[in-house]
Amino acid sequence: MNATTISPAHALGDGRARSAGRYVSDTLLLTGRSLRSIPRVPERLLDVTIQPIVFILLFLYVFGSAIHVTGISYKDYLFPGIIGQSLAFGIIGAGVATSNDMTEGVIDRFRSMPISRLSIISGQVMGQFCEALLGMVIVVGFGLALGWSPHLTIAHGFELAGLMILGMFAFTWLGVLFGMLVRSPDAMQGVGFIVIFPLSFMAGTFVPISGMDAVPRAIAQWDPISALVASVRGLTQGTHSTGSWQLEHPQVAMALWCLVILAVAVPIALRRFNRTLAA
Amino acid sequence: MTNSEPPAIEALGLTKRFGDFVAVQSLDLLVQTGTVVSLLGPNGAGKTTMVRMLATLLRPDAGQARIAGHDVISEPDRVRRVISLTGQFAALDKNLTAAENLHLMARLRGHGRTGARTIAVALMERFDIEAISDRLVKNLSGGERRRVDLAASLIDMPQLLVLDEPTTGLDPRSRQVVWSTVRDLVAEGVTLLLTTQYLDEADALADRVVLIDHGREIAAGTPAQLKAQVGEQRVDAVAADGAELERLEQALSVNFATSVARDQRTVSIPAPDEVADLARVAQAIRESGIAVDEVALRRPTLDDAFLALTGRPANAEADGGPDAEHDPTPMQEVAR
Repeated sequence: MNATTISPAHALGDGRARSAGRYVSDTLLLTGRSLRSIPRVPERLLDVTIQPIVFILLFLYVFGSAIHVTGISYKDYLFPGIIGQSLAFGIIGAGVATSNDMTEGVIDRFRSMPISRLSIISGQVMGQFCEALLGMVIVVGFGLALGWSPHLTIAHGFELAGLMILGMFAFTWLGVLFGMLVRSPDAMQGVGFIVIFPLSFMAGTFVPISGMDAVPRAIAQWDPISALVASVRGLTQGTHSTGSWQLEHPQVAMALWCLVILAVAVPIALRRFNRTLAA
Repeated sequence: MTNSEPPAIEALGLTKRFGDFVAVQSLDLLVQTGTVVSLLGPNGAGKTTMVRMLATLLRPDAGQARIAGHDVISEPDRVRRVISLTGQFAALDKNLTAAENLHLMARLRGHGRTGARTIAVALMERFDIEAISDRLVKNLSGGERRRVDLAASLIDMPQLLVLDEPTTGLDPRSRQVVWSTVRDLVAEGVTLLLTTQYLDEADALADRVVLIDHGREIAAGTPAQLKAQVGEQRVDAVAADGAELERLEQALSVNFATSVARDQRTVSIPAPDEVADLARVAQAIRESGIAVDEVALRRPTLDDAFLALTGRPANAEADGGPDAEHDPTPMQEVAR
């Protein structure tokens, strides 16, 4: 008996595995795989839903009474900050999920199958992106329910949506990269707590940057999350931030940050993924 | 099967280092189409590293390998099309059901929605997983997971099936199920590379066994040939308990070349004079007054072959979980 005669794999032809159509369909299949696990592991959404909601409640009803920001109600000041922070927390979520996934045997199965390596990572990124988007919808909905009142023109609405999608995409890639660099999901939580957690506070998220001590103020002036928060606040509440170039042009700075993050994270993540592999 | 067909695996001088640690050192491997070859060795011997190089998951530092005539380094896509790997840890998405996993793998292998469903249904029937098909993989037992895993490896009948420690961690009954499945596949003509740290497994399933240790080949041949290399019968004395085992070993090592399998409370002694040696050992035990459960003459096993060829028992390092010591997990490799 000749094993090749019973192998339908050969009937698929050689060129197909490389074709763009195959890449798109494999990516969609693998995105579907990631999405299907959301209702089955709902705790994966914690980073981007419960955490921001806890911060909303803490700052709105516990610390908020002691914080006064001139020219804007604290509620309207807070929600753009929370949106920025939960976007940043998406890095941790994507990192933990990726690092979890990479320790699973199923990734080895995918890598030993005749599908493009890029589609495996793309599926991962798309799945995480959808999770971040879902988290964002929940957080914004919660904010609106508590009485946050954004003042958006249609043009600003599109600008905001575009920036948010770009931001989520860049942060997801960054998280996927981190998830491949660290050795375990716990290590990713550690990185998140030590790096992303403080950066998300030193960003004009909950209190104005101008009142901070010199060192955190200097960090905040160039923290990418500051640009994100200032962008959202500027577009939804019409505020004008000052203190550094990026705070005076937050939308441009935010877009530039995202492009830089993508330009760095995408190739490194791809190289990492392929590193130990033949070809 | 034609003679012009290239071997299923032809590896020459494969070498892989992780930093200073040499996981696989200049290993050759020839697997003819239609045969079952077992890579046998203890934890950390380099089995998984070898398999990962052959499956295009790890780039060799030196040497070359061809799978069904396709080079693993320059033609990985072609290799991936003829090979099917079932890794040491169940290669399934644990958050999907068994049926969803099979369906996904079939879709990724290029089958349409309907075709994939037909394949999944047929495989579930064949591997007796219909009853558990709607349960999440993370809720399945080790044996059930292995069956789903094997089914996923056979979506398109591969030219070469690679099973990396298929029964590690399974209970004896699940192990028998995996064995009988493997035997069925072999009867269908599948070429199989099987790694194992269980000597009886290699003995039961393989046509040829390659014994490896510390990344090197120690010996190779049919199970019978390997046993012949050890060449003599042995006397096994099973102590009544752990304390008696210590005393038994002390007492017997005075007059005999002993080796001890602690987990089996057994002291083993070469018996070139067969029944005469059995009588001498029995006499020595009786004089010592040590309590034993059993004293028996037996044919050599692959265990003995390993001991004879490496100077230490095959399971000396086998207590750290599956290849815990040296073979890196996928994660460690990614992080490297």
